[in-house]
Amino acid sequence: MSSNDKKRRFSFSSYHFKRKAVLYIILTAIALLTVIPFIWTLSTALKGPNEAVFSMPPNFIPKDFTLDNFIEVWQTLPIPLYFWNSLIITFWGMILPILLATLAGFPLARMNFKGKNIIFIIIIATMMVPAEATMIPIYLILNKIGLLGTFTGVVLPIAVNAFGIFLMRQAFLNIPREIEESAIIDGANVFQIWWKILLPMVKPMIATLGILSFIGAWNSFLWPLIVLRDESMHPLTLGLYKLDGAFEASTRAVATGSIIALVPVIIIFLLLQRHFINSATSGSIKG
Amino acid sequence: MIYKTRHAWAFLLPAIILLMVFSIIPIIWVIYLGFTSYNVFQPAQWVGLENYQTLLSDDKFWHALKNTMFYWILVTPAITIVSLLLAVLVNQQLKGIKLYRLAFYFPVLVSVVVTALLWKWMFATDGIFNYFFELIGIGSIKWLTSPSMAMISVAIVTVWQGMGYYMLIYLAGLQSVPQELYEAAEMDGAGFWRKQWNITIPSLRPVILFVSIISTMGAFKEFALMMVMTEGGPVNSTTTLVYLIFKEAFENINMGYASAIATILFLVILIISIVNLKIQDTKDA
Repeated sequence: MSSNDKKRRFSFSSYHFKRKAVLYIILTAIALLTVIPFIWTLSTALKGPNEAVFSMPPNFIPKDFTLDNFIEVWQTLPIPLYFWNSLIITFWGMILPILLATLAGFPLARMNFKGKNIIFIIIIATMMVPAEATMIPIYLILNKIGLLGTFTGVVLPIAVNAFGIFLMRQAFLNIPREIEESAIIDGANVFQIWWKILLPMVKPMIATLGILSFIGAWNSFLWPLIVLRDESMHPLTLGLYKLDGAFEASTRAVATGSIIALVPVIIIFLLLQRHFINSATSGSIKG
Repeated sequence: MIYKTRHAWAFLLPAIILLMVFSIIPIIWVIYLGFTSYNVFQPAQWVGLENYQTLLSDDKFWHALKNTMFYWILVTPAITIVSLLLAVLVNQQLKGIKLYRLAFYFPVLVSVVVTALLWKWMFATDGIFNYFFELIGIGSIKWLTSPSMAMISVAIVTVWQGMGYYMLIYLAGLQSVPQELYEAAEMDGAGFWRKQWNITIPSLRPVILFVSIISTMGAFKEFALMMVMTEGGPVNSTTTLVYLIFKEAFENINMGYASAIATILFLVILIISIVNLKIQDTKDA
């Protein structure tokens, strides 16, 4: 290797080193921006009563460190109840969209019947109807069928997800014909084909839809706000909103409640990181 | 094939019933209610175009429309550009880049209520932002308490929360851009910015359009953030169309009038969706 080559190589790598350093600095700065609000809230939740919440300069590491807020909030405010309500809403808000979309996606992908295209178009067209525009009639319908003030009333409007049906149809379309045909020869009935043969093959898409529904239901605010009157039925989102407006609530308490609301999201996020990337980009663009 | 038409319908029925009850009937009903006066306690009274005539001269409506447009103009261009830059950044081959992607994406998963509460504290008069702004000599800013600033503050939060989502959409697009294009440009001596301008942006044009349309729809539908952060104030400066619908319907029990506004919102969303479909179509062709 000539000395000239060596020299060029050296300058090349030092250019790369500098470039990398700059990239890391920018990336870290943005990451701080996205993470600091959460750390700030966590530190507020961990500050004892002897420390001002809004002490300036802001200190992120509590001097009067305590877990008392969590215990106190958990015992004095209806946070455990809100948490439980959120869990119920999220459970059904996750199960029903999966169930209904896997049911409806199956005939749309695998069967031929009269009116199939028109049904599919109608289902897709409902994606253009935003809940924000139809909340008044939905409120009136829930009132008519006696579901105002019930969890069923919160869950039903989000139970069927046209986008979910679309995703499941796409997943079912990708399964080769032969698999179904051999099941039919073995004497499986239609329900068994769906349940035993096809569903196990679309598990990744079910996971994706499950994540989307989980996040949507856990964070749902509009329907609880409109449907639920009784405070003892409020989920965390609505409960925190009301607590924030309540005169006696302290910033510490609301911050602590916010952290509690974040815990399930963080757990699911850490467990299923890979799937999140898929769920975010699924169905968005083809290329 | 053993599949019969009745099988197909059996599988479709639950979803179709729910879509009928919670989507198709409501949208027809809301259009009808827009032509009525309705306060829930008495039957709806047909009033023809009266609600729409009232709308035209209603300052609250024009104000809410103006606020919504302002919010949209603040959010959509910012989010379209910022998340593209983020995607280019996290598309670099670096150690630990996945961790950064996850960090940028995380706010997407947080409930609007929690997000709004966190930022409310940071935007407080004696909050963390004003502390730093005073430190660097800009002085304290009335983030949420001045009518001219409040919507801008809400828009900042929206971009903060949404950028990770759009970043991932861009990232998927970026990873399908042939690497040879960049290599060829490097041979020609193109620098970093040149490559982005000449290769990334043209290749991602459909994705950029998609992101701007989706974020436009999001902007026209937003209201929870305003509700929790500012309650639509100060002086109604953050009352958006959807927030106005909510207030008219459930606080003033003016369901007919609120339905007329909701119908207009629906038409706006419908037009944007059709534009989106048209663009997707030409892209596939």
